[in-house]
Amino acid sequence: MGKAVELKNITKRFPGIVANDRINLEIQKGEIHAIVGENGAGKSTLMKVLAGLYQPDEGEIFIFGKKEKISSPNKAIELKIGMVHQHFMLVDRFTVLENIILGAEKKKGFTIDEKTCRETLKKLLELYNFKLDLDARLEDISVGHAQRVEIMKVLYRGADILVLDEPTAVLAPQEVDELFINLRRLKEEGKTIIFISHKLDEVLSIADNITVLRRGKAVGTVPADSVTKEELARMMVGKPVLMKLNKTPAEKGEVKLSLRDVMMKGHGGRNVLNGVTLKVCGGEIYGIVGVEGNGQKELAEAIIGLQQDYDGDIKVCGKPTKGLSIKQIRDMGVAFIPEDRHRQGLVLPMKVWENSILGLHRKEEFKKKTSIDIKKAEEFTSRNVKGFSIIISSIHQAIEGLSGGNQQKVILSRELSQEPIVILAAQPTRGLDIGAMEFVHQQLLEKRREGKAVVLISADLEEVLSISDRVGVIFDGEIVAEFTPEETTLEDIGVYMLGAHKKAGESA
Amino acid sequence: MKKDYKILALKILAPFVAIILAAFISSLIILAIDKDPLQVFYTMFKFSFKRIDSIAMILFNATPLIFSALAVSIGFKMGLFNIGIEGQYLIGTFMAALVGFSIKGLPAVIHLPLVILAGIVGGMIWSFIPIFLKVKRGVHEVISTIMLNYVAYSLIHFLIADVFRDRQQSLVEGLGSVLVRTPKLAASAVIPKMHGFLAFFGVQLPKHVYLNWFFPISVVLAAGIYYLIMRTPFGYELRAVGHNPEASCIAGINQGRIYFKGFLLSGAVAGLVGLSDLLGYFRYMDMDFPRGYGFDGIAVALIAQNNPFGIIASAILFGFLKRGSEGIQALLKVPMDTIVILQSLMIIFIVVITKIINDYVKRLEKREVA
Ligand SMILES: Nc1ncnc2c1ncn2[C@@H]1O[C@H](COP(=O)(O)OP(=O)(O)OP(=O)(O)O)[C@@H](O)[C@H]1O
Ligand SMILES: [Mg+2]
Repeated sequence: MGKAVELKNITKRFPGIVANDRINLEIQKGEIHAIVGENGAGKSTLMKVLAGLYQPDEGEIFIFGKKEKISSPNKAIELKIGMVHQHFMLVDRFTVLENIILGAEKKKGFTIDEKTCRETLKKLLELYNFKLDLDARLEDISVGHAQRVEIMKVLYRGADILVLDEPTAVLAPQEVDELFINLRRLKEEGKTIIFISHKLDEVLSIADNITVLRRGKAVGTVPADSVTKEELARMMVGKPVLMKLNKTPAEKGEVKLSLRDVMMKGHGGRNVLNGVTLKVCGGEIYGIVGVEGNGQKELAEAIIGLQQDYDGDIKVCGKPTKGLSIKQIRDMGVAFIPEDRHRQGLVLPMKVWENSILGLHRKEEFKKKTSIDIKKAEEFTSRNVKGFSIIISSIHQAIEGLSGGNQQKVILSRELSQEPIVILAAQPTRGLDIGAMEFVHQQLLEKRREGKAVVLISADLEEVLSISDRVGVIFDGEIVAEFTPEETTLEDIGVYMLGAHKKAGESA
Repeated sequence: MKKDYKILALKILAPFVAIILAAFISSLIILAIDKDPLQVFYTMFKFSFKRIDSIAMILFNATPLIFSALAVSIGFKMGLFNIGIEGQYLIGTFMAALVGFSIKGLPAVIHLPLVILAGIVGGMIWSFIPIFLKVKRGVHEVISTIMLNYVAYSLIHFLIADVFRDRQQSLVEGLGSVLVRTPKLAASAVIPKMHGFLAFFGVQLPKHVYLNWFFPISVVLAAGIYYLIMRTPFGYELRAVGHNPEASCIAGINQGRIYFKGFLLSGAVAGLVGLSDLLGYFRYMDMDFPRGYGFDGIAVALIAQNNPFGIIASAILFGFLKRGSEGIQALLKVPMDTIVILQSLMIIFIVVITKIINDYVKRLEKREVA
């Protein structure tokens, strides 16, 4: 067994920051190699160097022992390196099939030989046990499915070295297990897998070797079976990490958010929400768990007012919100952290400070006569950057240049800054490192202590169980079961998430 | 890092590189018609910059294009393509003419603003239709604005030739036929020239130069629009909607309302396009009133990448091309048609080359970000 990848002294700089600082890394052929590190440590950057998206400023790359210059993504594919990005790069209006074959179509004369493509794909899907509707349009499928499309894209192109940037962030626990079975099978077939994740348990269970990055530098590589979670965390942060939350007992207040029989039809006329009823009180965190695509997105969008086409009632502080504009609903004190940060949470080409006042830009505090008080906005942004330890080179850089986790922190700091009454958080810790995740959990608990109502929609069961006061399981557009974290287990919830048996009517 | 400077340099240099390349390609065409390219370009420059009145003419040429490109850029900023400037300014010009010739006896301080206002309202009316159709009915603005341009052409034709035609023109001696045009505008509706003002600074312009106060107005407007878009909450919303409508919507921005306001603003600015010619030169609107400013404005805005100050510069470049080609026509006896072809080719090359360079820059940036 030789080395699949060897990086020597790779340095990559961005204006004001050294994203990768003389990094050395060796990856053996046929291993699963995990890369961990805090948000902004330089993981994605390093992988993009490997995938030909960035050119390193210094350093050398050896692929299967041969020195190579990976000048473009096409070159990377030639070298059989395929990357699945942290943020999907898919075409919304195309079908799953079209997305996968895009750019690598099999031709028949001048036309695309769809049949052959389909056959090939079907075989691949079967081989790796992926469930995907090849004819669904991408805009209609969940984030979890989009992730699978990205992985299929890489496999379809015959990659031998797979780079997966936070692939599990969007998956439900069962899906993660499935993915891992697939990854192990790929490994058996001799493929090399490089895998980035913030979930240390996962990393320890799947990886052979783990490399830790800290602030652009490689701190070290360790075999997975010789470290503990705590040791890894300490390597990442540089000091011991407390992995414990102090959760005070709930002091439930009045009902702040209530939904009654909310029904909503989706694209095909199918009910995407099937009579959701729930109440969330001040001083309480209500967790909603479920496999992606079971109505979480629609539920959130109905509450914030993006989707108005529903039957039933949604009330905030006793006032119905139907027919109100998003702005009016937000002004009632509803904060929203959307799950798809690129599409719904940020305006990527705009600056960090501009993004951090998005939605607040009409507030009195940012007003100076007819214009936006840029100085105040900058101060506000700088405060958020400090408060949430957001790593950036300047608040004037376009937000698309931030690492995934730091983009998420900009949204969080913005949405939590306005003393909201109801906080609607969809996957708020997706892509955050353990430190940041803990910080967000503390923030949410703090809001709960202040008497705010928090709705936490998450695919991360452990997260939901650790901070929620009540947990609702959503399946097929319905809350099929409701628990308190004490009275249930991960396995129990997992069963409901897959809809094995409904437990409706038993809700507290 | 290195690439960053490269991007910045390319961004600034793009228009200049484009101009030079365009000049080079045009040279081939000039050679093809048996003239010396160097001599042609030399003549263009000499004719344009030797005399102060020639520079004033360039600025006069640039004026309508500044308005037009500003109008286009407002649309682009919010992600909409207003190809309807053409129709909007013709309607605006007609409305202004109507108020100009039908009201008499007002002092200029009231009449002139009223006429300008009429132009603005005309442009707004013609931009209201497409944006209403878009927001309420989902009709794509490119289709509706193009169609409305044709409607405007015919409507103007009808109004000038049939409804408001001036039938009491006295025949100018030597000319056998009357013009198909509206009545003359009242003297109180005429925009003053800049001669007096410039004379104050010792710059004497001859009478045949029509540079008027619309030029400084257009410059001030460009600054105003820059402020509006880059500084005000409205401009912020406009840009946010232009880049990401969904995120804007979730942030509580009413996309439809932004589209409405922005498009009406675009139409209002478009309403000013024809006024420098109408109120500063012709003083009536006839069947041959200048057309095409709306489309030239798109080119100007593209070259300037929608930056208001860049628009002033690229509009002046266009003004120079027009002036310079008048020069080669007069001095080098190159036939008029060739000049028109040459001028259009220059414009196309500049637009295409700037576009190519900009796309390249964007790809570089994307790659940095990806
Ligand atoms: N295109 C870019 N322009 C400017 N700075 C960038 C760019 N891409 C990354 N950076 C900076 O480089 C650093 C490393 O970013 P990178 O995306 O590699 O982090 P990461 O380890 O993947 O973090 P995360 O866990 O949050 O995804 C960050 O500080 C980021 O702001
Ligand atoms: Mg990353």
